[in-house]
Amino acid sequence: MFELEGIFNAVGDFLASFLGSPLLQIVSVIAVGTVVAGFLAVLALFLVWWERKLSADFQVRMGPMRTGPHGVLQTIADAIKLLQKEDIIPLTADRKVFFWAPVVCFVTAFMAYICIPFGKGLIVRDLNIGILYIVAITTFTVISLLMAGWASNNKYSLLGGMRSAAQIVSYEVPLSLSLLGAVMLAQSLSMVTIVQGQSESFLHWYIWRQPLGFLLYIVAATAEVNRTPFDIPEAEQELVAGFNIEYSGMKFAMFFLAEFVNMFTVCAIAVTLFLGGWNPPFEFLSFIPSWIWFLGKCLFLIFVLMWFRWTYPRLRVDQLMAFAWKFLLPLAFLNIIASGFLIYLFE
Amino acid sequence: MRVAKRVYSGVYNLILGLLTVFKHLGHKAITLQYPDERMPMFERSRGVVVLLSDPETGKLNCTACLLCARACPVAAISIVQGTDPDTGKRYPEKFEIDNTICAFCGLCEEACNFDAIKLTGKYEFSVYHQETLLYDRNFLQELGRDVPYEKKKKPVPKTKAAPTTDPTSPKPEKPASPKPDESPKEPPGEDKPGT
Repeated sequence: MFELEGIFNAVGDFLASFLGSPLLQIVSVIAVGTVVAGFLAVLALFLVWWERKLSADFQVRMGPMRTGPHGVLQTIADAIKLLQKEDIIPLTADRKVFFWAPVVCFVTAFMAYICIPFGKGLIVRDLNIGILYIVAITTFTVISLLMAGWASNNKYSLLGGMRSAAQIVSYEVPLSLSLLGAVMLAQSLSMVTIVQGQSESFLHWYIWRQPLGFLLYIVAATAEVNRTPFDIPEAEQELVAGFNIEYSGMKFAMFFLAEFVNMFTVCAIAVTLFLGGWNPPFEFLSFIPSWIWFLGKCLFLIFVLMWFRWTYPRLRVDQLMAFAWKFLLPLAFLNIIASGFLIYLFE
Repeated sequence: MRVAKRVYSGVYNLILGLLTVFKHLGHKAITLQYPDERMPMFERSRGVVVLLSDPETGKLNCTACLLCARACPVAAISIVQGTDPDTGKRYPEKFEIDNTICAFCGLCEEACNFDAIKLTGKYEFSVYHQETLLYDRNFLQELGRDVPYEKKKKPVPKTKAAPTTDPTSPKPEKPASPKPDESPKEPPGEDKPGT
């Protein structure tokens, strides 16, 4: 009854009733874009606050408490402060690249949401190559980080950019390979079909048939979004801040936003492919709207990522590379071979 | 086999770390929200220096004996003696502590024979201007108004040549010495040291 699909459909029909076809196209694109962007902005604000509160909880502190009850307005205050900051461009920076780096970063993070199924019927466009598209588009983050690191003309940001390029390119491989097992089970690259393939109960979720794939994905995704223990691109102790040292104000905010949006993206992919997407774990729980299930599962995975962050120390660069190429990659291949074999045997 | 063992122990330790961190969730915070909550300071904590007053009369315990000023290793205390023309008792005409150089060593408190000066648990004395940190007598007295103290020390002026005027006096103040000691009577005294 609280499914948002009906609401969106009603709004679409209402718009279609008095708008011509070409105009409707434009209006619906703008409207959907605004809704998704607004959702992501609110989500990022919430995630920043949640991360701070959670880290405080893990460290037996309180975290932000001043702005609003339990500091809920803290990130809004921070965002307003960031918007007011002076937009500094270093004298020696490559101005064009410096300007476009955060834009590329944010836009590519945003574009992944075209085919993430938030709930039953809640998907912007169900591409038949959905998961491939998402994996491809999120890889653009590397380019933006390299652009930022290079254009800042600062040794620390350059080092950060290089490190992130090395890391993300390396971890992209096991990440994509670990997704393949679930894709093979679903026999489809479309996100909606993958979710529908695990609909009946939580026993049909692909995590039970792809436990290794799920673990590999979570590890590789943690590295993919530059979070501890794989956060060497922005290792504060070595690189001051990494690729975004020279950024301030709005541009820094875009990087920051993209970071948390990316975090939600990888968790959404994991939920879609391994944890049953919007499906409730039991049939009798289906009275809770599907988008709540999806968001709940995503938030749980984000909690796990944050839990990782406040538990594990950072890896060294060589350990990071060795881990990706000598451990994750063989396991990912093994996972594909094993799941292919098992699928052939049982189906 | 060895590889499997290492992988096992690695995974085990990773999970152990996660559980250890997880245990802290929901634990009551051990930090304080400072301006709202304050940690109670300890009885003997050495914060800012105050001058103590007699709770009954409201007058300063200080007799301007200059012992604290001499004990002070950084010379933060400067005192000008005055004599009350009515009772003949001495009181600090001027009593200044320069808090910018005070080292909070507590030697003045140890030197004092009359429970007149004490280091307290008060610590919030940040100011915008350095001059504000030169505390005068009235300020120090106001600071010391709510500081509880026990009259432990007793004035023992045995070694002094001056005879005590009233040995049974309950007041711990140093008895006034004979008048001829203090020739300069210019400061009229006006019986104000306690107010």
